[in-house]
Amino acid sequence: MAEILFSSWGGEVVDNRSKEPQEYETASKVSLPEYFQQNEEIKALIGWYGIVLRTSEVNIVDLCRTYMEAIQEKSCGKCFLCRIGTKVIADTLGRMCRGKGRQADLEILARLAESISESSKCNIGQSGPLPLRHALEYFADDFALAANGGAAIPAGTYRSKLTAPCMDACPIHLDIPTYVECIKEGKFQESLDVIRERLPLPGVVGRVCVRPCEEHCRRTNLDEPISIKFLKRFVSDYELEKNKEPHYLVEAAEKTGSVAIVGAGPAGVTCAYHLARKGHQVTIYEKLGEPGGMSAVGIPDYRLPRQILRGEVEQVQKLGVTIHYDTQVGKDIKLSQLEADNDAVFIAHGAHLSSAMRVEGENDGYKGFITGVQYLLDINLGKDPYPEGKKVVVVGGGNVAIDCVRCSFRVNKPDVNLVYRRTRNEMPADEVEIHDAEEEKVVFHYLTQPIKVIAENGKVVGLQCIKMELGEPDESGRRRPVPVEGSEFIIDCDIVVPAIGQTIDLSMLEGIDKVETTRWNTIVVNEFTKQTENPKIFCAGDCQTSPGALITACAGGRTAAINIDKLINGLNLEAAEDDYFDKLFDVVKVYDPAEDIGFLGGRARYQLEMLPPDTRKWTFDEVEKGFSPQEAMAEADRCLRCYRVATIAVTEATS
Amino acid sequence: MVTLTIDGKEVKVPQGTTILAAARTAGIRIPTLCYHGRLDPIGSCRMCVVEIEGIAHPMAACTTPVEEGIAVISNSDRIQRIREDSLKLILVNHPLDCPICDKGGECLLQDLVYEFGIDKVEYQAPKPARESLYATPLIRYWPDRCVMCLRCVTACREIKGIGAIEIKGEGYGSQVVVIDAEKCQSCGECLSVCPTGALTENLSRFKGRPWLVERVPTTCTYCGCGCQLELNVQNNRVIGVTTQEGKGVNLGSLCVKGRFGYEFIGSDERLTTPLIKKDGEFKEASWEEALTLVAERFGAIKEEFGPDAIGGLSSARCTNEENYLFQKFMRGVIGTNNVDHCARL
Repeated sequence: MAEILFSSWGGEVVDNRSKEPQEYETASKVSLPEYFQQNEEIKALIGWYGIVLRTSEVNIVDLCRTYMEAIQEKSCGKCFLCRIGTKVIADTLGRMCRGKGRQADLEILARLAESISESSKCNIGQSGPLPLRHALEYFADDFALAANGGAAIPAGTYRSKLTAPCMDACPIHLDIPTYVECIKEGKFQESLDVIRERLPLPGVVGRVCVRPCEEHCRRTNLDEPISIKFLKRFVSDYELEKNKEPHYLVEAAEKTGSVAIVGAGPAGVTCAYHLARKGHQVTIYEKLGEPGGMSAVGIPDYRLPRQILRGEVEQVQKLGVTIHYDTQVGKDIKLSQLEADNDAVFIAHGAHLSSAMRVEGENDGYKGFITGVQYLLDINLGKDPYPEGKKVVVVGGGNVAIDCVRCSFRVNKPDVNLVYRRTRNEMPADEVEIHDAEEEKVVFHYLTQPIKVIAENGKVVGLQCIKMELGEPDESGRRRPVPVEGSEFIIDCDIVVPAIGQTIDLSMLEGIDKVETTRWNTIVVNEFTKQTENPKIFCAGDCQTSPGALITACAGGRTAAINIDKLINGLNLEAAEDDYFDKLFDVVKVYDPAEDIGFLGGRARYQLEMLPPDTRKWTFDEVEKGFSPQEAMAEADRCLRCYRVATIAVTEATS
Repeated sequence: MVTLTIDGKEVKVPQGTTILAAARTAGIRIPTLCYHGRLDPIGSCRMCVVEIEGIAHPMAACTTPVEEGIAVISNSDRIQRIREDSLKLILVNHPLDCPICDKGGECLLQDLVYEFGIDKVEYQAPKPARESLYATPLIRYWPDRCVMCLRCVTACREIKGIGAIEIKGEGYGSQVVVIDAEKCQSCGECLSVCPTGALTENLSRFKGRPWLVERVPTTCTYCGCGCQLELNVQNNRVIGVTTQEGKGVNLGSLCVKGRFGYEFIGSDERLTTPLIKKDGEFKEASWEEALTLVAERFGAIKEEFGPDAIGGLSSARCTNEENYLFQKFMRGVIGTNNVDHCARL
């Protein structure tokens, strides 16, 4: 990381301008990557949190001009000060850069920057002039020169990007502030249109998303995050309730082609949706008799009613997408055949094999030993996986494990246990899901590891476990559980469900050239394009990332669709400027959980009404009821609209 | 109830009350421009920002609910500067055509600029290239005068449930446009909430200054709803219709007929006496003459052909009571059930 000459990022002023390089102080609030994209060095950053300069080559007045012009361009026009004030500032800076500055300009800039940042309606105006205020304070000489007939300043090379903490955290980068604002204004259809620009599954994602957006919601710093997920569900439910047909923007590409997709899960369906909207012929091959992939198999009806998932996939089919169900690629049809018959193939068949627990007895085919994926699949297809069994032990701490325990009640198995080798704090499952399972009275055995499946006459009768304690942290940062000697015990049960993770079945790749895989059995792709080494084959979703969030799979599907469209149209497949900004924002964080916002808060988020635990645990009825329009609008009104802009000064390096 | 202080004065208000509403309860004035009593707070003008002790950022009083124990300061040098800047920025390109503006004399912007004594604006920006993209034969939009407070957009959506107008574009170039001309019913709700002269009535331009007209409260005659309105009368001629916010069953709203259909009152073509056709030509007659003739003819027709030879058709412009009496007359006096109402046709 190259040294920093000046930084005011996050209110921490590091000024090395009059120091020798060996005396340079480092900025603790920001680290700035050396390169934006290959051969493009980052010379300076200006944004919502301040200014970072790496070299004195960047003219601060010109940097501020570019940034304020970007702010003005992104101002929504809905409040006076930001709409007109940022225009006055941008024009004034522009005039100064042309060598036509006036002494009075300095006072105008300082006063307006203060008023706009203090009183604008949203964060564009609040954060926009902040770095200008830093610049006026710490670069007073440069501004004084520009205001007093200094020479015209040559314009540098810059890149600007609008973002928001929630939007940046969302893998598919939904324009959350806009769709939430539409809800606030009662424009539910418009809100859905904004979501559907990127995501065809608002009803699904609005129910089961792991919502990184809410974890990065700036309102958390004030009181509680916005209920983004349920707002998305609300607009989708509203459309269904009103029996409105969704409308999609279809804009055929210049050249269209045919694309085969393996798997009708979130990645496959999202990819198909974007390709179909571009006019391409899309055929999906799905191994199961149902759409949704892991979201159909792994997510029970009480969290995601079947008709919601089917309905949204049917809408995508109406765009002209064909789905062949009960068709396994690699068995019923060869991947090489699809590759030969189509312009491109997108592999998104997920990760459906259960990981082994590596305990004695798991491979002995005992009755009552059922993998988590199979267990949920049976239940979701309306079957009881093992009617004889009544006492269940599920092993694992992820969402699939929680789904298994909660489903067990719903197929009339009253004694339900969960075994997890660490503590509740380390559990990767969604906090809300754990809480709901606790409410439904699942028995949790923390710090417990299975060591042997005990069977009699070929039937499971118990699970032998050992107690664990937490030792030193491992590479994931979580403390490694170690067995407590002599603490073995047996949980009596007739069903054991291992749900410790899933792996990927790569058998279909046999005979396919140039598709590489990793030692974790994932498929290797270019991170920006999702293209494999074989130019016709793309891949995303769990089979590329290993089991992950549904929304990440959707994002991968969308990226693949954009690049498949480019491939068919003979365009270069390369990373876009937005991709490089994503990389930059991995380092320069868009959300700061420690930020003191300085607003009056105290507005709690609206909670959804839920079925009571004693009723819901025996049925597959959806547990959470949705928002009413009034509740949704009031919740959306809590959004702080944290749009913000970052501008970087770059140089074309020769290396 | 939540207890707070505003400028040191203790105020108790129900939870969920905004700071602005709390201040109004306590008789403390906080200036506003975009705020309108019938609309959800918009928060576009930032005139109502206030300081709260211990909170770094000024907050908009119209959109911020009260919290227990807060101490609000309704004005300070900082707040005064922000309010002045908000007005000055509007004035950067607002035309000073108040002498020929229909709204002159009852314009909220004019009042606020006067109140704040703004006599010069040091800020500059070129005039935005705004087109007049919103107008109907009855409503005229003056884009230069529009401060984009969004009252019209909000009223169209919230009060009328139509949403025909919307803000489009970004930054300085954004403007109010019709997004769906089909939806617009020319009801004029937008112009009734406009605080400036950006939306005016096309019919009454240059007919009279607001302070010269007499406002006569009356009930709209177009249908049985009973909307309350004020006829703006000058020299015994009706030159416009206005309403009072929140007054009557209509709470100040009107439809296109009630707001704009007043010209018949002073029309030269309006009948002012009954006419009786004699020798194939209509002749003016007195009411007594006319009513006597009608009564005689009804009597004669009933005698000769029976009561069912007569039918009555009533008007939607009558009240329920008048319609009731009309059917009573047809049934009880004429003796027929042949009675109907034009609204059913």
